[in-house]
Amino acid sequence: MARRGTLALAGLRLLTGAVCLWLFAVPGLVVIVSAFASDWVATVLPASFTLRWFEHFDATDVDAMLTSFEVAGMVAALGTVLGLWLAISLNPLEGRRLGGLLDAVIMVPNSVPSVVLGLAVLLAYHAPPLDISGSAAIVVLVQTALVMPFCYRMCAAALKQEIPVFREAAASLGAPPAMVLRRVILPLLEPAIRASVALAFAFSIGDLGATLMVYPPGFSTVPIVVIEDVERGFYYRASALALILLALSLASLVLVAGRGRRAKVAAVAMER
Amino acid sequence: MSATSRTLLARGANLSAVVLLVFGPFILYPLGGLFLLSVRTKSGVSIDPYLRFFSDPTSLEVIRTSLAIVLASAAVATVVGVALAALLFYLPFRGSAMLVRLMELFVAFPSFLVAFTLIFLYGTQGSVNVFLVETFHLSHAPIDFLYGFGGIVFAEVIYYTPFVVRPTLTALTLIDERVVEAARSLGASPALVARKVVLPMALPGIVAGSILCFLFIMNEFGILLVLGSAKLITLPLSIYSAATVDLDLQAAATQAAVMLVASLSVFVVYRRVTRAGTRSHARG
Repeated sequence: MARRGTLALAGLRLLTGAVCLWLFAVPGLVVIVSAFASDWVATVLPASFTLRWFEHFDATDVDAMLTSFEVAGMVAALGTVLGLWLAISLNPLEGRRLGGLLDAVIMVPNSVPSVVLGLAVLLAYHAPPLDISGSAAIVVLVQTALVMPFCYRMCAAALKQEIPVFREAAASLGAPPAMVLRRVILPLLEPAIRASVALAFAFSIGDLGATLMVYPPGFSTVPIVVIEDVERGFYYRASALALILLALSLASLVLVAGRGRRAKVAAVAMER
Repeated sequence: MSATSRTLLARGANLSAVVLLVFGPFILYPLGGLFLLSVRTKSGVSIDPYLRFFSDPTSLEVIRTSLAIVLASAAVATVVGVALAALLFYLPFRGSAMLVRLMELFVAFPSFLVAFTLIFLYGTQGSVNVFLVETFHLSHAPIDFLYGFGGIVFAEVIYYTPFVVRPTLTALTLIDERVVEAARSLGASPALVARKVVLPMALPGIVAGSILCFLFIMNEFGILLVLGSAKLITLPLSIYSAATVDLDLQAAATQAAVMLVASLSVFVVYRRVTRAGTRSHARG
C-alpha cells in the first residue's frame, strides 16, 4: 500500500516535470533546432544541420537587427529614466487616493492591447502639432509607453522596501534633497535600475503589435521581419532571426539584471 | 517660507511636471485622442460610429470569437496553472526549481514566436504528425487543429499559464505551515486540508493570476496574427486590419475605443482584487 503510494507520487512528479518541459521548454528548443535545420519537413527531426540560414542573412536582416538593438537600447534607457522619475515622485503619495489613481494610470499602457496603444500613438503623432510618424522616434515613443509600467513598478517596489529609513536618516542630518537622491537613493536602487533596463530591453526587442501599428516606411525590426518571413513561408530564416532575438533578450536578462534578480523581474512582469 | 512648505511646493511642482511630461504625451494624449477621433464624423460629434459598429453582424461575430477564445484559454490556463503550481510546491523534485525559472524566462519570449514554433510540431507536416503517421501507418495527418480555435487556445495556454503559476506559487509560499499542520493533526484528510484550508488561503493569488491572464489573453495579438484565419478574428486583429489593410482609421479608432473600455474594465477589477488582497495581508 505504502509502496503504491510512493510510486504514485513519483509518477506525479514525473508528469509535472514532463508537462512543464513540454509546455515551456519545447518552444525554445524548436526555435534552436529549426534555426540550424537544413530541412525539417515530413521528418520527425531534421535530417541534417547547417549554418546556412545565418550565413544568408541579407542587408534587410542585418538592418533590422541593428535597428532592433538601437531602438531597444534607447527604450530601455528612456523607460528606466521615466520609470525612476515616476517612482520617486509618486513614492510620497503612497497610501493616498491621488497616489493610487496615478499608479493605476501608469499601468494602463500595459493593460490595453499593444495595437490599441500603437493606433493611439499613431493618431496622436501623425499630424501637427507634432508629426513624428515618418521617423523611428514614433517607434521609440510607443515602445517606451509600453515598457514604462514595468520600469516604474521595478523602481517603486525597491523604493518601498529599501529606502525610507536611509532617506529619513540622511535628510535629518541636513542633506539637501538632490544629495539624498544622488548619494543615497540611486546607489540603493542600482539593482532595481539594472533589472528595469534588462526587462525594458527584452520587452522592446520582442514587441510586435505596437511597432507594427506605427513603423514608418523603410523601417523594420526583427519581429517585423520574422513575421513577414513566417507569412511567406520562409520558416528557417525566421527561426534563425528569432534565435538571435531570443539570444539578445536572454543576454540582457542574464547579464544586465544579474543573478538572483530574475525572480524579481518575473514577479514584476507576471504579478504586479 | 518654512522648510516643510518649501518641500511641499517642490513636490507639487515636480508632480505637475510628471503629469505634463510623462502622463500627458505617453498615455493621456494618445488614448484621449482615440476617443475624440472615434466620435468625430463629417457632420460633427456623434455616436454613429458606435451604433454602426454594434449593429454590424461582422463585428458581433468578432466579439463572439474574442469572448470564446479568451474564456476557453483563460479557463484552461487557470486549471493547468493552479495544478502545476500545487504539484511543484507540494511535490518538489530535483530540477523543479529550474522548471520554475524556465517559466519565468517566458517573459522574454515574444508570444508570436510560441505560435510559430507550434507549426513545426503540430502542423500537418510537423514532427508530431509525421511521427504518428509513421508509427501507426496512417494515411493522413491525424492532428489538424493548429489553424483554428484549438491551435489558438493551445498557444495562449502555453504562453499565459506561467502568469497563473507564479502568483499561485507565491500565495502557497505565504500560507502559514502551522495552520496546515494543525488541520492535519486534528485528523483532516489531505483532500479536506486542500479544500478547506489551502484553497481558501491561496484563492486571492489564484484569482489575481487568473484575471491578469484573462486580460492579457483578451489583449493578445501576435498569436492570432500567426494562427488566426479569416474565420477567427478577434478585436485586436480586427483593429489592426481596419487600420493597416482597409486604411479606415475611424473604424479602427471606434473598435480600439471599445477594446480600451473592455480592457480597462478588467484592469479595474484586477486592481480591486489585488488591492483588497494586500490590505487584508497588512491587517493579518
